[in-house]
Amino acid sequence: MSLVDLMSTAKPNFELRDRILLKLGGRELVNCYQCIRCTSGCTALKLLELKPHEIVKLVNLGLVEDLPSSDIIWTCVTCLKCVQRCPQKASPYHVIIALRNLAVERGAKVPEGYLKIVSQILETGLAEPPQKIVTSKMETVDRESAKLQKIKPPKQTFQAAFMKAMEEK
Amino acid sequence: MARIGVYVCHCGSNIAGVVDVEKVVEYAKTLPDVVIAKHYAYMCSEPGQRLIQDDIEDHKLDRIVIATCSPRMHEETFRRAVAEAGLNPYLIEIVNLREQVSWAHTHEPEKATEKAKALVRMGVARAKLLEPLEKHKIRVEKGVLVLGGGIAGIQASLDLANAGFKVYLVEKSPSIGGKMAQLDKTFPTMDCSMCILAPKMIDCAHHPNIQLLTYSEVKGVKGSVGNFKVTVLKKPRYVDEKKCTGCLICMENCPAEAQNEFDECIGVRKAIYTPFMQAVPRVPVIDKESCVECGLCEKVCPTDAVNRAQKPEEIELNVGAIVVSTGFDVFDPSAIPQYGYKRFKNVITAMELERLVCASGPTGGHLTRLSDGRIPRSIAFIQCVGSRDKRFHEYCCRVGCMVTLKQAILAREKIPGDLKIYTCFIDLRAFGKGYEEFYGRARDMDIDFVAGLPSEIHCAADGSLYFDVYDRGTNKLLEVHADLVVLGTGLVPSGDLGKISALLHASRSADGFLLEAHPKLRPLESAMAGVFLAGVCQGPKDIPDTVAQASGAAAKVIDLLLSGEIDIEPLKAVVDKDLCSGCRICESICPFVAIEMKSEFVKGEEKLTAEVVEAVCQGCGLCSSACPTGAVKIQQYGNKQVVTQVQAALAETCAEGGG
Amino acid sequence: MKIAVYWGCCIQANQFAYEMSLRATLPKFGVELVDLSESVCCGDPVKSVNEFAANFLAARVLALANLTGLDSLLVPCNRCHFTLSEAQNTMKKNPQTAQKIISLLKEEGLDYGPNIKIWHTIDLLHDLVGLEKIRKAVKKPLRGLKVATHVGCQVIRYSDLGRVDDAENPRKLDELIEAIGAEAVDYAEKLDCCGAALMRSHPDSALSLAGSKLKAVQGLNVAGLVVSCPECQLMFDAKQKDAGTTVGVKLNVPVVYYTQLLGLALGIGERKLGLHLNQSPAEVLLAKVSS
Repeated sequence: MSLVDLMSTAKPNFELRDRILLKLGGRELVNCYQCIRCTSGCTALKLLELKPHEIVKLVNLGLVEDLPSSDIIWTCVTCLKCVQRCPQKASPYHVIIALRNLAVERGAKVPEGYLKIVSQILETGLAEPPQKIVTSKMETVDRESAKLQKIKPPKQTFQAAFMKAMEEK
Repeated sequence: MARIGVYVCHCGSNIAGVVDVEKVVEYAKTLPDVVIAKHYAYMCSEPGQRLIQDDIEDHKLDRIVIATCSPRMHEETFRRAVAEAGLNPYLIEIVNLREQVSWAHTHEPEKATEKAKALVRMGVARAKLLEPLEKHKIRVEKGVLVLGGGIAGIQASLDLANAGFKVYLVEKSPSIGGKMAQLDKTFPTMDCSMCILAPKMIDCAHHPNIQLLTYSEVKGVKGSVGNFKVTVLKKPRYVDEKKCTGCLICMENCPAEAQNEFDECIGVRKAIYTPFMQAVPRVPVIDKESCVECGLCEKVCPTDAVNRAQKPEEIELNVGAIVVSTGFDVFDPSAIPQYGYKRFKNVITAMELERLVCASGPTGGHLTRLSDGRIPRSIAFIQCVGSRDKRFHEYCCRVGCMVTLKQAILAREKIPGDLKIYTCFIDLRAFGKGYEEFYGRARDMDIDFVAGLPSEIHCAADGSLYFDVYDRGTNKLLEVHADLVVLGTGLVPSGDLGKISALLHASRSADGFLLEAHPKLRPLESAMAGVFLAGVCQGPKDIPDTVAQASGAAAKVIDLLLSGEIDIEPLKAVVDKDLCSGCRICESICPFVAIEMKSEFVKGEEKLTAEVVEAVCQGCGLCSSACPTGAVKIQQYGNKQVVTQVQAALAETCAEGGG
Repeated sequence: MKIAVYWGCCIQANQFAYEMSLRATLPKFGVELVDLSESVCCGDPVKSVNEFAANFLAARVLALANLTGLDSLLVPCNRCHFTLSEAQNTMKKNPQTAQKIISLLKEEGLDYGPNIKIWHTIDLLHDLVGLEKIRKAVKKPLRGLKVATHVGCQVIRYSDLGRVDDAENPRKLDELIEAIGAEAVDYAEKLDCCGAALMRSHPDSALSLAGSKLKAVQGLNVAGLVVSCPECQLMFDAKQKDAGTTVGVKLNVPVVYYTQLLGLALGIGERKLGLHLNQSPAEVLLAKVSS
């Protein structure tokens, strides 16, 4: 899953980089000295080749053109190990979230699952609708039969407020 | 009425390139009491100084204003120059036209010139109020306290003793030698550490000018530079140093055991013990906590040296200077649980490995695993454990990379046949003389250098360790299996540095080590007059730098005390006893502990008045501004002088607004 | 003691057993749960789409908690707990963002409450109720029951935010297990992630992560795996078969919520604790309990 085409020289985009730094609300990212503790312990490395140190370095060098449209930024499991173990508080997780936001902004490919959830929240307030469970004994159980309260939907004003919030960059 | 001479320096083009020096000179001539005003290319040069000296004679000048670079550069030069011409050296005023004008306002020459004029006006106004002052001398003790008996303390002590000074070398453990005594070999030469250390230790023991005070701690320090009064507590060894011959029969017979601190708690020692075979002095101590009070040692001692009723002893020392050489501690990686230290037996620190490979260590120098005594067939070294880390210590420990290279080379030499060695690092720092060549030697020994650190270490059922580490060079994830993992733990400020810092009023820097007076120009002294720094207590460093710094600190002490007296600059605080109400505000506010309260009996009543300890006072002015009665003033910086300058500053102004 | 509770989406959608077991056990310690007036997402899945909107949703939940007049909020889901905690921190540290969110909330007539203490099941039981109280309340200690715990990721990381337990050596869930008479074992994979967050985009990888962990637990000779997060339970319990298929191993690991075991120790019936809803072979573990 290479991010940069090796046949052409990488060209930095400092404006985009600064936008990312702004989103992160701090400059700790620039402290990264590539110790690799994040990648060595990354939950998504073996299965999906996610290398947090590489993403941080690319952002630091301004080589961010390809990042928002790449597949790799959607492989993070959000286990937060990289944030916990970074000796410089550079937090690759937060960079990845910022890049995902940028991907949505630019209309780059976003896994369907996320967009579906956003519409679900807009419509019902919740990310997923209540389901019926079929137990191993073939019994069907839902909230009612489990004697759980009815779900209280958000008030009318919620939709407009949420949509307004979604417009903020 | 004063007769003031004003001299404006070009400082080459440093000042004249921005400030119109001629205009400033013309302006100076218009100021009251200015008899003569000149400008010249380099006032600090011989002809420049001659200019001033001739004018003092020819025009009977009694105050000199020199508008030039920062006083920190040449104030002393000009003081000497006017003194030679017969004028009191404290009747000069330096006006800074370089750092404060031409360098600060390089792109605004007109405004800069106006500012220069204003500063000269202020300088002239103040010059009138300058008073003639004299330096004076105080007698100093020619004894030195060296606090800490590691290689730094040992080196400093020998240099001082050889120069004829009486040295009191105080060491808290039973023997001098410090951390260097624990090392096997030293980089980059692979000298046997004890072989190069022991002769120096013995020299210290035999030197007529050095008094060893081992198993002792400093309890109190009073006084000031040139005249410190130090209280040392000699902890009871329960062995009479005068009678003991160092035969160690007591140790052989002792039935009680305790963890061996010198061997990093791998293995045991006896309750009556010397920390290591080459200990100096070779007089054991009884560790009462592990002692079972069987009395065997007393019975077997051929010279009746065991005295189990020995009491601690307090000793008072008078010294002129103190050299702090208290060394360091090693980072405890228990703070990083994911690396498995203390959880997994075969994860050890670099210092523990040092003891394992050392012939005098718990395994006789055989590099074997702690869990089962087997020879490891794979060893992994992990760098920067606790260092370069905002969660623990932000600094680089400076020696970690070289230590690992050394230990990797030693492992390769000690274990013939199959042995896989990995070193995991971020940046490999081999900066000193012979260091890069040493790194080259290691690269030639089939050692795998992995550019990356693991996130966590795991342990298999048989005690062997495994971890994933990503290598930057190959972009591959490596699954490393190691029989032994060595954590490159950094040097950290020693646990009792807080106590020492408080005792000596020597501040600490942000990283916790002792703070030097200036990081580049004065690295061997603390800001506290008479307290010098040597070795790692001032910051992490290797043995060559430690020894260099120790000799340097010794030289500084010699410089200070050799003549038997030191000059005291008169620009200090003075107290007018008649105005002093004894409120003690100045005493509490002084950061250098330079004010003492003296009690006198005046008309039958006890009166407390403040007295400035001139040798320690730095002239910072805090006391003067805090004093409610105006009793304390700084020579040359009294209220009158300061206010006059302010008034002169505001005399001509185009400032608007206010009211 | 009254405490507000925020369930999130997952618990209300399909992880009924967690809600059932919490509602059954907490009153035994004098804890009365007060529901919020609305059920709305905490914003966790929205973070990847628009972080500001996600913070808005989280702050909105805290505003709803504020409406109850209570100063404590129980958040049993790990991800919700992290999202609400991070949002609370952002509201404190970033006045610009805070201002915008507060005005949006005001438009709905909602007031953001900055001083809500956010609890999780684990620290509520371990720190607020306390191990002593739990020990005393136990009627049927689960003696001889050996289990492995999975505390999850987002309640122990990242430490700077202030989390529920230590990030490298979390002991609270294990101590809670001991308090009910059982034994919790240590194992190398203890801190490994369940993979839930990847279900939206990389389901195979997600199941692979869950499968690897379950495979390791299966090799441990324990009665089961104990969790305290609905997403983790979803992966290990409901998706155990799929996870097994993905890693090519037949998995038979009983996976239960801590609160379900707690309920058993307190003498509460299995159905009330939702144990019939577990898709993993919980009955195997239950057999060990009764013997």
